[in-house]
Amino acid sequence: MNAIETTDLTRYYGVLCAVNHLTLSVNNEIFALLGPNGSGKTTTVLMLTTLLTPTEGSASVCGHDVMREGEMVRKSLSYVPQDMAVDIKLTGRENVRFFADLYGVPHAADRVDEALAVMELSDRADDLIRTYSGGMRRRLELAQALVHEPSVLFLDEPTIGLDVAARKRIWEHIRALRKKGMTIFVTTHYMDEADQFCDRVGIISRGQIAALGTPAELKARLMKDVITAKVEGMFALPDVDGIAFVGRNDDEVSFTVENGREALPLLADALKKSGCIVRSMSLREPTLDDVFLQAVGRQEEPHGFEFDKFRIMLRRRK
Amino acid sequence: MSGIVTYMKRDFLKWGRGKVAVISALVMPAAWLIFVGLALPVQFTGNYLDFITPGILVMTMLSAGLSGGALLMFDKILGFLNKFLALPTPRSSILVSKILFITGRGLIQTTIILVIALLIGATLLSPLQYGLTYFILFLFGVLISTFATTIALYLEDHDSYAAFNTMISMPLFFTSSALMPYSVMPAWLATIAHFNPLSYAIDAVRDVTVGGFPAVPIIVLLVLTGGLLAICTHVFRKVTV
Repeated sequence: MNAIETTDLTRYYGVLCAVNHLTLSVNNEIFALLGPNGSGKTTTVLMLTTLLTPTEGSASVCGHDVMREGEMVRKSLSYVPQDMAVDIKLTGRENVRFFADLYGVPHAADRVDEALAVMELSDRADDLIRTYSGGMRRRLELAQALVHEPSVLFLDEPTIGLDVAARKRIWEHIRALRKKGMTIFVTTHYMDEADQFCDRVGIISRGQIAALGTPAELKARLMKDVITAKVEGMFALPDVDGIAFVGRNDDEVSFTVENGREALPLLADALKKSGCIVRSMSLREPTLDDVFLQAVGRQEEPHGFEFDKFRIMLRRRK
Repeated sequence: MSGIVTYMKRDFLKWGRGKVAVISALVMPAAWLIFVGLALPVQFTGNYLDFITPGILVMTMLSAGLSGGALLMFDKILGFLNKFLALPTPRSSILVSKILFITGRGLIQTTIILVIALLIGATLLSPLQYGLTYFILFLFGVLISTFATTIALYLEDHDSYAAFNTMISMPLFFTSSALMPYSVMPAWLATIAHFNPLSYAIDAVRDVTVGGFPAVPIIVLLVLTGGLLAICTHVFRKVTV
Protein backbone atom coordinates (compact mmCIF):
# COMPACT_ATOMS: atom_id res chain seq x y z
CA MET A 1 0.00 0.00 0.00
CA ASN A 2 1.43 3.34 -1.04
CA ALA A 3 1.08 6.32 1.27
CA ILE A 4 -0.40 8.48 -1.49
CA GLU A 5 -2.12 7.13 -4.56
CA THR A 6 -4.06 9.10 -7.17
CA THR A 7 -5.87 7.85 -10.25
CA ASP A 8 -7.00 10.27 -12.93
CA LEU A 9 -7.43 12.96 -10.29
CA THR A 10 -9.11 15.94 -11.96
CA ARG A 11 -10.42 19.25 -10.77
CA TYR A 12 -12.19 21.95 -12.73
CA TYR A 13 -12.85 25.50 -11.52
CA GLY A 14 -15.67 26.38 -13.86
CA VAL A 15 -14.12 26.02 -17.29
CA LEU A 16 -10.55 26.12 -16.04
CA CYS A 17 -9.00 22.70 -15.64
CA ALA A 18 -6.61 23.08 -12.69
CA VAL A 19 -5.62 19.43 -12.37
CA ASN A 20 -5.99 17.14 -15.35
CA HIS A 21 -6.09 13.34 -14.90
CA LEU A 22 -3.21 13.17 -12.47
CA THR A 23 -2.01 9.65 -11.72
CA LEU A 24 0.69 9.39 -9.11
CA SER A 25 1.95 7.19 -6.32
CA VAL A 26 4.21 8.32 -3.55
CA ASN A 27 5.62 6.23 -0.75
CA ASN A 28 8.10 6.77 2.04
CA GLU A 29 10.07 9.52 0.35
CA ILE A 30 10.28 13.26 -0.05
CA PHE A 31 8.25 13.90 -3.16
CA ALA A 32 8.21 17.37 -4.66
CA LEU A 33 5.52 18.60 -6.97
CA LEU A 34 7.33 21.23 -9.00
CA GLY A 35 5.70 23.82 -11.13
CA PRO A 36 5.17 27.51 -11.70
CA ASN A 37 2.38 29.51 -10.05
CA GLY A 38 -1.02 28.38 -11.20
CA SER A 39 0.08 24.97 -12.46
CA GLY A 40 -2.20 23.03 -10.11
CA LYS A 41 0.14 22.20 -7.22
CA THR A 42 -1.96 23.64 -4.44
CA THR A 43 -5.18 22.28 -5.94
CA THR A 44 -3.65 18.80 -5.88
CA VAL A 45 -2.66 19.17 -2.22
CA LEU A 46 -6.12 20.52 -1.30
CA MET A 47 -7.74 17.46 -2.85
CA LEU A 48 -5.35 15.06 -1.11
CA THR A 49 -5.98 16.73 2.26
CA THR A 50 -9.79 16.50 1.76
CA LEU A 51 -10.21 20.29 1.58
CA LEU A 52 -11.47 20.17 -1.98
CA THR A 53 -13.63 17.60 -3.73
CA PRO A 54 -12.19 16.21 -6.97
CA THR A 55 -14.31 16.68 -10.07
CA GLU A 56 -13.23 13.29 -11.39
CA GLY A 57 -10.93 10.45 -10.46
CA SER A 58 -9.91 9.19 -7.06
CA ALA A 59 -7.16 9.50 -4.52
CA SER A 60 -6.19 7.76 -1.32
CA VAL A 61 -3.90 8.55 1.59
CA CYS A 62 -2.63 5.60 3.66
CA GLY A 63 -5.19 3.41 1.94
CA HIS A 64 -8.15 5.63 2.83
CA ASP A 65 -10.19 7.20 0.07
CA VAL A 66 -10.17 11.00 0.29
CA MET A 67 -13.83 11.32 -0.62
CA ARG A 68 -15.38 8.48 1.35
CA GLU A 69 -13.09 8.22 4.38
CA GLY A 70 -12.26 11.86 5.02
CA GLU A 71 -11.86 11.50 8.75
CA MET A 72 -9.46 8.55 8.49
CA VAL A 73 -7.45 10.46 5.89
CA ARG A 74 -7.26 13.51 8.14
CA LYS A 75 -6.15 11.31 11.06
CA SER A 76 -3.13 10.06 9.14
CA LEU A 77 -1.89 13.32 7.67
CA SER A 78 -0.74 16.77 8.62
CA TYR A 79 -1.04 19.76 6.35
CA VAL A 80 0.98 22.98 6.52
CA PRO A 81 -0.49 25.49 4.06
CA GLN A 82 1.44 28.17 2.27
CA ASP A 83 0.25 31.16 4.30
CA MET A 84 1.83 31.07 7.74
CA ALA A 85 -1.05 30.81 10.17
CA VAL A 86 0.06 30.81 13.81
CA ASP A 87 -1.62 32.79 16.58
CA ILE A 88 0.74 35.64 17.36
CA LYS A 89 -0.94 36.41 20.69
CA LEU A 90 -0.22 32.90 21.95
CA THR A 91 3.11 31.38 22.97
CA GLY A 92 4.85 28.69 20.98
CA ARG A 93 3.87 26.07 23.53
CA GLU A 94 0.22 27.17 23.52
CA ASN A 95 0.10 27.03 19.74
CA VAL A 96 1.41 23.47 19.66
CA ARG A 97 -0.70 22.38 22.64
CA PHE A 98 -3.77 23.67 20.82
CA PHE A 99 -3.12 21.26 17.95
CA ALA A 100 -2.25 18.40 20.31
CA ASP A 101 -5.63 18.86 22.01
CA LEU A 102 -7.47 19.02 18.69
CA TYR A 103 -5.80 15.78 17.60
CA GLY A 104 -6.58 14.26 20.98
CA VAL A 105 -2.95 13.24 21.50
CA PRO A 106 -2.39 11.22 24.69
CA HIS A 107 0.20 12.66 27.13
CA ALA A 108 -0.17 15.96 25.31
CA ALA A 109 2.24 17.98 27.47
CA ASP A 110 5.12 15.56 26.83
CA ARG A 111 4.38 15.32 23.11
CA VAL A 112 4.31 19.12 22.84
CA ASP A 113 7.70 19.38 24.55
CA GLU A 114 9.05 16.72 22.24
CA ALA A 115 7.76 18.36 19.06
CA LEU A 116 9.14 21.73 20.16
CA ALA A 117 12.50 20.12 20.92
CA VAL A 118 12.66 18.43 17.52
CA MET A 119 12.11 21.82 15.86
CA GLU A 120 14.73 23.41 18.17
CA LEU A 121 12.24 25.80 19.72
CA SER A 122 12.43 24.64 23.35
CA ASP A 123 14.23 27.71 24.67
CA ARG A 124 11.71 30.08 23.08
CA ALA A 125 8.63 27.94 23.76
CA ASP A 126 7.07 30.33 26.28
CA ASP A 127 7.55 33.51 24.25
CA LEU A 128 4.70 35.05 22.30
CA ILE A 129 4.81 34.28 18.58
CA ARG A 130 4.89 37.99 17.75
CA THR A 131 8.56 37.88 18.80
CA TYR A 132 9.37 34.92 16.46
CA SER A 133 11.15 35.32 13.13
CA GLY A 134 9.69 33.96 9.89
CA GLY A 135 11.86 30.85 10.01
CA MET A 136 10.87 30.15 13.61
CA ARG A 137 7.20 30.54 12.79
CA ARG A 138 7.58 28.03 9.99
CA ARG A 139 9.33 25.60 12.33
CA LEU A 140 6.54 26.12 14.84
CA GLU A 141 4.02 25.15 12.17
CA LEU A 142 6.05 22.00 11.56
CA ALA A 143 5.97 21.31 15.31
CA GLN A 144 2.17 21.68 15.23
CA ALA A 145 2.00 19.30 12.30
CA LEU A 146 4.26 16.72 13.97
CA VAL A 147 2.59 16.65 17.35
CA HIS A 148 0.31 13.71 16.45
CA GLU A 149 3.03 11.80 14.58
CA PRO A 150 1.35 11.67 11.16
CA SER A 151 2.35 9.12 8.51
CA VAL A 152 2.07 11.65 5.70
CA LEU A 153 3.06 15.30 5.82
CA PHE A 154 1.85 17.79 3.20
CA LEU A 155 3.87 20.98 2.93
CA ASP A 156 2.73 23.68 0.55
CA GLU A 157 5.70 25.91 -0.37
CA PRO A 158 7.46 25.31 2.97
CA THR A 159 10.34 27.71 2.34
CA ILE A 160 8.55 30.59 0.65
CA GLY A 161 9.60 33.97 1.98
CA LEU A 162 12.46 32.64 4.13
CA ASP A 163 16.13 33.56 3.97
CA VAL A 164 18.79 31.13 2.78
CA ALA A 165 19.83 29.92 6.23
CA ALA A 166 16.24 29.39 7.37
CA ARG A 167 15.45 27.48 4.19
CA LYS A 168 18.35 25.14 4.66
CA ARG A 169 17.30 24.50 8.23
CA ILE A 170 13.70 23.71 7.23
CA TRP A 171 14.96 21.24 4.64
CA GLU A 172 17.29 19.59 7.14
CA HIS A 173 14.30 19.05 9.42
CA ILE A 174 12.28 17.62 6.55
CA ARG A 175 15.12 15.20 5.72
CA ALA A 176 15.29 14.11 9.34
CA LEU A 177 11.56 13.35 9.34
CA ARG A 178 11.94 11.33 6.17
CA LYS A 179 14.63 9.22 7.86
CA LYS A 180 12.13 8.40 10.59
CA GLY A 181 9.88 6.88 7.92
CA MET A 182 7.47 9.69 7.21
CA THR A 183 6.18 10.31 3.69
CA ILE A 184 6.55 13.95 2.78
CA PHE A 185 4.72 15.59 -0.09
CA VAL A 186 6.09 19.05 -0.86
CA THR A 187 5.08 21.61 -3.43
CA THR A 188 7.60 24.20 -4.47
CA HIS A 189 8.66 26.33 -7.36
CA TYR A 190 12.28 26.41 -6.27
CA MET A 191 13.99 23.96 -8.62
CA ASP A 192 17.33 24.11 -6.81
CA GLU A 193 15.76 23.06 -3.50
CA ALA A 194 13.93 20.16 -5.09
CA ASP A 195 17.13 19.08 -6.80
CA GLN A 196 19.13 19.17 -3.60
CA PHE A 197 16.72 17.81 -1.02
CA CYS A 198 13.99 15.70 -2.62
CA ASP A 199 14.05 11.99 -3.46
CA ARG A 200 11.72 12.27 -6.41
CA VAL A 201 10.12 15.14 -8.28
CA GLY A 202 7.13 15.48 -10.53
CA ILE A 203 7.05 18.48 -12.82
CA ILE A 204 3.49 19.67 -13.22
CA SER A 205 2.37 21.95 -15.99
CA ARG A 206 -1.22 22.97 -16.75
CA GLY A 207 -2.46 20.35 -14.34
CA GLN A 208 -0.58 17.47 -15.89
CA ILE A 209 2.62 15.67 -14.96
CA ALA A 210 5.19 16.59 -17.59
CA ALA A 211 8.16 14.72 -16.12
CA LEU A 212 8.55 12.33 -13.19
CA GLY A 213 11.60 10.75 -11.60
CA THR A 214 14.57 11.34 -9.30
CA PRO A 215 16.38 14.63 -9.93
CA ALA A 216 19.40 12.65 -11.18
CA GLU A 217 17.29 10.58 -13.61
CA LEU A 218 15.59 13.64 -14.98
CA LYS A 219 18.86 15.44 -15.50
CA ALA A 220 20.33 12.34 -17.14
CA ARG A 221 17.63 12.56 -19.79
CA LEU A 222 19.55 15.56 -21.03
CA MET A 223 23.09 15.05 -22.31
CA LYS A 224 26.14 15.76 -20.19
CA ASP A 225 26.45 19.48 -20.84
CA VAL A 226 24.07 22.37 -21.32
CA ILE A 227 24.97 25.38 -23.46
CA THR A 228 23.00 28.55 -23.05
CA ALA A 229 23.34 31.33 -25.60
CA LYS A 230 22.01 34.87 -25.48
CA VAL A 231 20.86 35.74 -28.97
CA GLU A 232 19.37 38.71 -30.77
CA GLY A 233 17.47 38.91 -33.99
CA MET A 234 15.98 36.11 -36.07
CA PHE A 235 16.44 32.75 -34.42
CA ALA A 236 16.23 29.53 -36.38
CA LEU A 237 17.00 26.10 -34.95
CA PRO A 238 20.53 25.24 -36.05
CA ASP A 239 20.91 21.75 -37.46
CA VAL A 240 24.12 20.40 -36.01
CA ASP A 241 24.74 16.72 -35.26
CA GLY A 242 24.86 15.91 -31.54
CA ILE A 243 23.25 19.16 -30.43
CA ALA A 244 19.69 18.98 -29.14
CA PHE A 245 17.47 21.99 -28.48
CA VAL A 246 16.16 22.27 -24.92
CA GLY A 247 14.05 25.38 -24.95
CA ARG A 248 13.90 29.12 -25.12
CA ASN A 249 13.40 31.66 -22.34
CA ASP A 250 13.11 35.22 -23.72
CA ASP A 251 16.44 35.88 -25.48
CA GLU A 252 18.15 32.83 -24.00
CA VAL A 253 18.23 29.57 -25.91
CA SER A 254 19.48 26.34 -24.36
CA PHE A 255 20.95 23.23 -25.97
CA THR A 256 22.19 19.99 -24.57
CA VAL A 257 25.27 18.22 -25.88
CA GLU A 258 27.53 15.31 -24.99
CA ASN A 259 30.78 17.29 -25.14
CA GLY A 260 30.27 20.95 -24.46
CA ARG A 261 33.81 22.19 -25.13
CA GLU A 262 33.79 20.84 -28.68
CA ALA A 263 30.22 21.84 -29.40
CA LEU A 264 30.63 25.49 -28.37
CA PRO A 265 32.38 26.77 -31.53
CA LEU A 266 30.19 24.60 -33.81
CA LEU A 267 27.05 25.99 -32.24
CA ALA A 268 28.31 29.57 -32.40
CA ASP A 269 28.99 29.20 -36.12
CA ALA A 270 25.64 27.59 -36.80
CA LEU A 271 23.75 30.29 -34.91
CA LYS A 272 25.61 33.02 -36.80
CA LYS A 273 24.86 31.30 -40.08
CA SER A 274 21.15 31.15 -39.26
CA GLY A 275 21.15 34.93 -39.05
CA CYS A 276 21.13 35.88 -35.39
CA ILE A 277 23.68 37.76 -33.31
CA VAL A 278 25.16 35.79 -30.43
CA ARG A 279 25.80 38.05 -27.41
CA SER A 280 27.19 35.47 -25.00
CA MET A 281 27.45 31.75 -24.47
CA SER A 282 27.88 29.66 -21.34
CA LEU A 283 28.57 26.05 -20.63
CA ARG A 284 27.42 24.22 -17.50
CA GLU A 285 26.00 20.99 -16.13
CA PRO A 286 22.28 20.40 -16.49
CA THR A 287 19.97 21.52 -13.66
CA LEU A 288 16.30 20.86 -13.00
CA ASP A 289 15.62 24.22 -14.61
CA ASP A 290 16.75 22.77 -17.93
CA VAL A 291 14.64 19.65 -17.36
CA PHE A 292 11.72 21.91 -16.66
CA LEU A 293 12.34 24.04 -19.73
CA GLN A 294 12.50 20.95 -21.91
CA ALA A 295 9.43 19.35 -20.33
CA VAL A 296 7.04 22.26 -20.38
CA GLY A 297 8.63 25.11 -22.31
CA ARG A 298 8.02 28.64 -21.20
CA GLN A 299 5.16 28.76 -18.81
CA GLU A 300 2.55 31.44 -18.60
CA GLU A 301 0.04 31.90 -15.85
CA PRO A 302 -3.35 30.59 -16.80
CA HIS A 303 -5.57 33.12 -18.45
CA GLY A 304 -8.69 33.25 -20.53
CA PHE A 305 -11.02 31.95 -17.87
CA GLU A 306 -14.17 33.68 -16.77
CA PHE A 307 -13.61 36.12 -13.93
CA ASP A 308 -17.02 35.51 -12.36
CA LYS A 309 -16.36 31.82 -12.10
CA PHE A 310 -12.95 32.56 -10.64
CA ARG A 311 -14.64 34.67 -7.97
CA ILE A 312 -17.01 31.87 -7.13
CA MET A 313 -14.08 29.51 -6.90
CA LEU A 314 -12.29 31.87 -4.52
CA ARG A 315 -15.40 32.14 -2.43
CA ARG A 316 -15.61 28.38 -2.15
CA ARG A 317 -11.98 27.84 -1.52
CA LYS A 318 -9.66 30.35 0.05
CA MET B 1 -17.12 17.95 22.06
CA SER B 2 -13.51 18.35 23.21
CA GLY B 3 -12.83 20.08 19.90
CA ILE B 4 -15.40 22.76 20.72
CA VAL B 5 -13.80 23.41 24.10
CA THR B 6 -10.30 23.57 22.58
CA TYR B 7 -11.33 26.01 19.86
CA MET B 8 -13.13 28.17 22.45
CA LYS B 9 -10.09 28.11 24.71
CA ARG B 10 -7.98 29.49 21.88
CA ASP B 11 -10.40 32.35 21.24
CA PHE B 12 -10.72 33.23 24.92
CA LEU B 13 -6.92 33.23 25.36
CA LYS B 14 -6.50 35.51 22.35
CA TRP B 15 -9.30 37.80 23.51
CA GLY B 16 -7.93 38.06 27.04
CA ARG B 17 -4.53 39.15 25.73
CA GLY B 18 -5.89 42.10 23.78
CA LYS B 19 -6.56 44.42 26.71
CA VAL B 20 -7.63 47.41 24.63
CA ALA B 21 -10.33 45.39 22.88
CA VAL B 22 -11.65 43.99 26.18
CA ILE B 23 -12.12 47.44 27.70
CA SER B 24 -13.18 49.40 24.63
CA ALA B 25 -16.09 47.03 24.01
CA LEU B 26 -17.52 48.05 27.39
CA VAL B 27 -17.17 51.80 27.01
CA MET B 28 -20.10 52.37 24.66
CA PRO B 29 -22.83 50.50 26.56
CA ALA B 30 -21.54 51.92 29.86
CA ALA B 31 -21.72 55.43 28.41
CA TRP B 32 -25.30 54.86 27.25
CA LEU B 33 -26.24 53.54 30.65
CA ILE B 34 -24.73 56.45 32.55
CA PHE B 35 -25.21 59.44 30.25
CA VAL B 36 -28.59 58.50 28.80
CA GLY B 37 -30.00 56.22 31.52
CA LEU B 38 -29.29 58.67 34.31
CA ALA B 39 -29.66 61.95 32.50
CA LEU B 40 -32.51 61.77 30.00
CA PRO B 41 -35.64 63.52 31.33
CA VAL B 42 -38.59 61.27 30.51
CA GLN B 43 -42.22 61.40 31.58
CA PHE B 44 -43.43 57.82 30.96
CA THR B 45 -41.58 56.21 33.89
CA GLY B 46 -40.26 57.21 37.25
CA ASN B 47 -37.10 55.03 36.95
CA TYR B 48 -35.67 55.38 33.46
CA LEU B 49 -32.52 53.46 34.44
CA ASP B 50 -34.61 50.36 35.15
CA PHE B 51 -36.38 50.87 31.85
CA ILE B 52 -33.27 51.29 29.72
CA THR B 53 -31.08 48.60 31.36
CA PRO B 54 -32.64 45.67 29.41
CA GLY B 55 -32.12 47.66 26.22
CA ILE B 56 -28.47 48.32 27.02
CA LEU B 57 -27.87 44.67 27.95
CA VAL B 58 -29.26 43.57 24.60
CA MET B 59 -27.28 46.29 22.86
CA THR B 60 -24.08 45.01 24.51
CA MET B 61 -24.88 41.56 23.20
CA LEU B 62 -25.63 43.01 19.77
CA SER B 63 -22.29 44.75 19.42
CA ALA B 64 -20.43 41.75 20.88
CA GLY B 65 -22.14 39.52 18.31
CA LEU B 66 -21.59 41.82 15.36
CA SER B 67 -17.92 42.38 16.13
CA GLY B 68 -17.48 38.64 16.65
CA GLY B 69 -18.83 37.88 13.21
CA ALA B 70 -15.50 38.80 11.69
CA LEU B 71 -13.63 36.13 13.68
CA LEU B 72 -14.40 33.13 11.51
CA MET B 73 -13.88 35.22 8.38
CA PHE B 74 -10.42 36.19 9.64
CA ASP B 75 -9.61 32.55 10.41
CA LYS B 76 -10.51 31.87 6.80
CA ILE B 77 -8.60 34.78 5.25
CA LEU B 78 -5.47 34.17 7.33
CA GLY B 79 -5.33 30.46 6.52
CA PHE B 80 -6.25 29.07 9.95
CA LEU B 81 -9.47 27.58 8.65
CA ASN B 82 -7.64 25.43 6.11
CA LYS B 83 -5.44 24.04 8.85
CA PHE B 84 -8.46 23.32 11.03
CA LEU B 85 -10.36 21.67 8.19
CA ALA B 86 -7.47 19.26 7.63
CA LEU B 87 -7.79 18.00 11.23
CA PRO B 88 -9.76 14.89 12.21
CA THR B 89 -11.77 17.03 14.68
CA PRO B 90 -15.39 17.27 13.45
CA ARG B 91 -15.66 20.30 11.18
CA SER B 92 -18.92 21.44 12.74
CA SER B 93 -17.10 22.10 16.02
CA ILE B 94 -15.26 24.99 14.32
CA LEU B 95 -18.58 26.77 13.73
CA VAL B 96 -20.25 25.77 16.99
CA SER B 97 -17.25 26.86 19.07
CA LYS B 98 -17.12 30.22 17.32
CA ILE B 99 -20.80 30.95 17.99
CA LEU B 100 -20.47 29.81 21.60
CA PHE B 101 -17.34 31.92 22.08
CA ILE B 102 -18.95 35.08 20.69
CA THR B 103 -22.03 34.50 22.84
CA GLY B 104 -19.96 33.68 25.92
CA ARG B 105 -17.85 36.77 25.47
CA GLY B 106 -21.04 38.83 25.10
CA LEU B 107 -22.42 37.35 28.33
CA ILE B 108 -19.27 38.35 30.21
CA GLN B 109 -19.61 41.89 28.85
CA THR B 110 -23.31 42.09 29.72
CA THR B 111 -22.49 40.90 33.24
CA ILE B 112 -20.11 43.82 33.70
CA ILE B 113 -22.71 46.24 32.32
CA LEU B 114 -25.31 44.73 34.67
CA VAL B 115 -23.00 45.29 37.64
CA ILE B 116 -22.47 48.92 36.57
CA ALA B 117 -26.25 49.36 36.27
CA LEU B 118 -26.72 48.02 39.81
CA LEU B 119 -23.97 50.28 41.13
CA ILE B 120 -25.63 53.39 39.72
CA GLY B 121 -29.03 52.50 41.08
CA ALA B 122 -30.88 49.85 39.07
CA THR B 123 -33.24 47.61 41.05
CA LEU B 124 -31.86 44.26 42.24
CA LEU B 125 -33.82 41.24 40.91
CA SER B 126 -34.34 37.71 42.21
CA PRO B 127 -31.96 34.87 41.15
CA LEU B 128 -34.73 33.33 39.04
CA GLN B 129 -35.21 36.59 37.17
CA TYR B 130 -31.47 36.81 36.51
CA GLY B 131 -31.46 33.22 35.32
CA LEU B 132 -34.23 33.97 32.84
CA THR B 133 -32.51 37.20 31.77
CA TYR B 134 -29.31 35.26 31.04
CA PHE B 135 -31.23 32.61 29.14
CA ILE B 136 -32.81 35.28 26.90
CA LEU B 137 -29.48 37.04 26.42
CA PHE B 138 -27.82 33.73 25.54
CA LEU B 139 -30.52 32.97 22.99
CA PHE B 140 -30.22 36.43 21.49
CA GLY B 141 -26.41 36.10 21.50
CA VAL B 142 -26.57 32.85 19.53
CA LEU B 143 -29.03 34.50 17.13
CA ILE B 144 -26.90 37.56 16.48
CA SER B 145 -23.53 35.78 16.32
CA THR B 146 -24.94 33.22 13.90
CA PHE B 147 -26.30 36.03 11.77
CA ALA B 148 -23.02 37.99 11.87
CA THR B 149 -20.87 34.93 11.15
CA THR B 150 -23.05 34.02 8.16
CA ILE B 151 -22.88 37.51 6.67
CA ALA B 152 -19.11 37.73 7.20
CA LEU B 153 -18.52 34.30 5.65
CA TYR B 154 -20.65 35.34 2.71
CA LEU B 155 -19.03 38.75 2.20
CA GLU B 156 -15.56 37.31 2.77
CA ASP B 157 -13.88 40.69 2.97
CA HIS B 158 -13.14 42.65 6.10
CA ASP B 159 -13.88 46.13 4.71
CA SER B 160 -17.28 45.12 3.42
CA TYR B 161 -18.10 43.45 6.69
CA ALA B 162 -17.02 46.48 8.75
CA ALA B 163 -19.21 48.69 6.54
CA PHE B 164 -22.13 46.31 6.96
CA ASN B 165 -21.60 46.26 10.72
CA THR B 166 -21.65 50.07 10.97
CA MET B 167 -24.62 50.24 8.65
CA ILE B 168 -26.92 47.99 10.68
CA SER B 169 -25.94 48.33 14.34
CA MET B 170 -27.25 51.85 15.04
CA PRO B 171 -30.50 51.60 13.00
CA LEU B 172 -31.24 48.24 14.65
CA PHE B 173 -30.80 49.78 18.08
CA PHE B 174 -32.83 52.94 17.44
CA THR B 175 -35.71 51.12 15.77
CA SER B 176 -36.07 48.75 18.73
CA SER B 177 -37.94 49.23 21.97
CA ALA B 178 -34.65 49.90 23.82
CA LEU B 179 -35.12 53.61 24.52
CA MET B 180 -38.89 54.05 24.86
CA PRO B 181 -42.07 51.99 25.15
CA TYR B 182 -44.25 51.45 22.06
CA SER B 183 -46.91 53.73 23.56
CA VAL B 184 -44.78 56.86 23.29
CA MET B 185 -43.27 56.04 19.87
CA PRO B 186 -44.58 57.68 16.72
CA ALA B 187 -46.87 55.17 14.99
CA TRP B 188 -44.44 54.48 12.11
CA LEU B 189 -41.59 53.75 14.52
CA ALA B 190 -43.78 51.48 16.62
CA THR B 191 -44.60 49.44 13.51
CA ILE B 192 -40.92 48.99 12.66
CA ALA B 193 -40.05 48.25 16.29
CA HIS B 194 -42.59 45.41 16.37
CA PHE B 195 -40.68 43.65 13.59
CA ASN B 196 -37.22 44.27 14.99
CA PRO B 197 -35.70 41.09 16.50
CA LEU B 198 -33.94 43.27 19.06
CA SER B 199 -37.33 44.32 20.43
CA TYR B 200 -38.24 40.71 21.12
CA ALA B 201 -35.13 40.24 23.26
CA ILE B 202 -35.57 43.61 24.99
CA ASP B 203 -39.29 43.11 25.66
CA ALA B 204 -38.59 39.64 26.99
CA VAL B 205 -35.94 40.87 29.43
CA ARG B 206 -38.15 43.79 30.44
CA ASP B 207 -41.04 41.43 31.05
CA VAL B 208 -38.80 39.29 33.26
CA THR B 209 -37.72 42.32 35.30
CA VAL B 210 -41.34 43.10 36.19
CA GLY B 211 -42.00 39.50 37.17
CA GLY B 212 -43.54 38.04 34.00
CA PHE B 213 -42.65 35.03 31.88
CA PRO B 214 -42.25 36.14 28.23
CA ALA B 215 -43.28 32.93 26.46
CA VAL B 216 -44.07 34.46 23.06
CA PRO B 217 -40.83 36.46 22.58
CA ILE B 218 -38.80 33.44 23.71
CA ILE B 219 -40.55 31.22 21.16
CA VAL B 220 -39.98 33.82 18.42
CA LEU B 221 -36.29 34.05 19.34
CA LEU B 222 -35.99 30.25 19.38
CA VAL B 223 -37.56 29.95 15.92
CA LEU B 224 -35.39 32.76 14.48
CA THR B 225 -32.24 31.26 16.00
CA GLY B 226 -33.06 27.81 14.65
CA GLY B 227 -33.65 29.13 11.16
CA LEU B 228 -30.47 31.19 11.12
CA LEU B 229 -28.41 28.28 12.43
CA ALA B 230 -29.65 26.18 9.51
CA ILE B 231 -28.70 28.90 7.01
CA CYS B 232 -25.32 29.44 8.68
CA THR B 233 -24.51 25.72 8.65
CA HIS B 234 -25.37 25.67 4.97
CA VAL B 235 -23.10 28.65 4.16
CA PHE B 236 -20.32 27.16 6.29
CA ARG B 237 -20.57 23.83 4.46
CA LYS B 238 -20.45 25.64 1.16
CA VAL B 239 -17.26 27.52 1.98
CA THR B 240 -15.57 24.45 3.42
CA VAL B 241 -16.37 21.63 0.97
